[in-house]
Amino acid sequence: MNDWKSSSVVIRHEVGLHARPSVKLTKLAKTFASTIQISGSPEGPWIDAKSIVKVMAMKAKQDSTLYLRASGGDAASAVDALRGLVERDFDEDAAHAASG
Amino acid sequence: MPDLGKMLDVVAERLIAHAEELTALDSAIGDADHGLNMKRGFEAVLADKVNILAKPLPEALKAIGMTLVMKVGGASGPLYGTLFMTLGKELPAEPSLADAARALTAAVEAVKARGKADFDNKTMLDVLGPVARHLGNGSATFDSVRKLAHDRAEATVPMKAIKGRASFLGERSIGHMDPGARSSELMITAICDGLEDKG
Amino acid sequence: MRANDKVGIVIVSHSPDVARGTADMVRQMVGEDVPLGYCGGNPDGGLGTDVAKILKAIDEAWSEKGVAILVDLGGAETNSEMAVEMLDPERQGKVVICNAPIVEGAVMAATEAWGGASLEDVRRTAEELSPQ
Repeated sequence: MNDWKSSSVVIRHEVGLHARPSVKLTKLAKTFASTIQISGSPEGPWIDAKSIVKVMAMKAKQDSTLYLRASGGDAASAVDALRGLVERDFDEDAAHAASG
Repeated sequence: MPDLGKMLDVVAERLIAHAEELTALDSAIGDADHGLNMKRGFEAVLADKVNILAKPLPEALKAIGMTLVMKVGGASGPLYGTLFMTLGKELPAEPSLADAARALTAAVEAVKARGKADFDNKTMLDVLGPVARHLGNGSATFDSVRKLAHDRAEATVPMKAIKGRASFLGERSIGHMDPGARSSELMITAICDGLEDKG
Repeated sequence: MRANDKVGIVIVSHSPDVARGTADMVRQMVGEDVPLGYCGGNPDGGLGTDVAKILKAIDEAWSEKGVAILVDLGGAETNSEMAVEMLDPERQGKVVICNAPIVEGAVMAATEAWGGASLEDVRRTAEELSPQ
């Protein structure tokens, strides 16, 4: 019944989807009304991208591929936004350098 | 009618005098602050004595409890604070021994709820509970209460802690007296001493 | 005065340094939008917790959506429960103490709160970390 918009992106961040990136991804996901899920494989298992606990528990590593899918009115922009965040390395360059 | 001011002095002096002993007991199975915490709490009670004594007994007990809550700084603050506040809630202005037994029983229940603990968990309840029951049976004397408090505190030595920080030690908590049981014993003994001098 | 559309987070540790450090992590990772209060140390400034300071921290983090408290060890929880009971009755029902590790719980709870979640959802998120 779900009409998914899907995409995938390679995680370049040197620590992978750890604490800070997870919080950013979750926060961004929460700004969309759509159901948004992520997975480390195109077959799933899919987890709720709005659940900080589940996203952090995924422990997605550097250079692994993150699969994204969303369903709902703003699904397309949600997928684009999340993929963009990962592609931009979670906007962390500045913060990262500052905090060492 | 006992002199509350004098009782306060006796209880506070006793706990302050035993602060190092309580802290030593607590360093064996807790975080080594029970004596200091009780000392800070009762010093604050003494500092506020004039205000406390201006109130009728129930209100005075509630004020003592509140001061302990605000000043002790460890878990014993809310626990002893709850004890005194409940006594204040339950006792009439001119209590009889039966009133005291009933109020202490209610206060022990309140402390149990506050600490989510039960009897035989190696806590202050193991002294206060038996004393409350003993007061209720009508045959209590100052000596029998003092002896019971002492024996029940000693009886926490072989117990295994299942509440509070001491519970992390598991089997290793065995062989040490519970500092809260000891401070309860000191408090009860001091109250007996204070009442007896007066009587 | 910030908009009260997010659940507030309060951090109560025995150590003032742990409390401040945990608050720093929440601020850096989740941002400034979540109402946040923290406190640590006994009334003398040593290790311990202080009901008066907890009440103040709850006040600082106050939100009409409620406040979730994260604590470290036993006394922090007991003193926090005491503080909650001393709040005005209408506030009492809007404060919960989470059974969760303090640092992880604070970050998770704040992330959930940031998205506008209810107090119950914020608590559940923090407690997902604890063995049931």
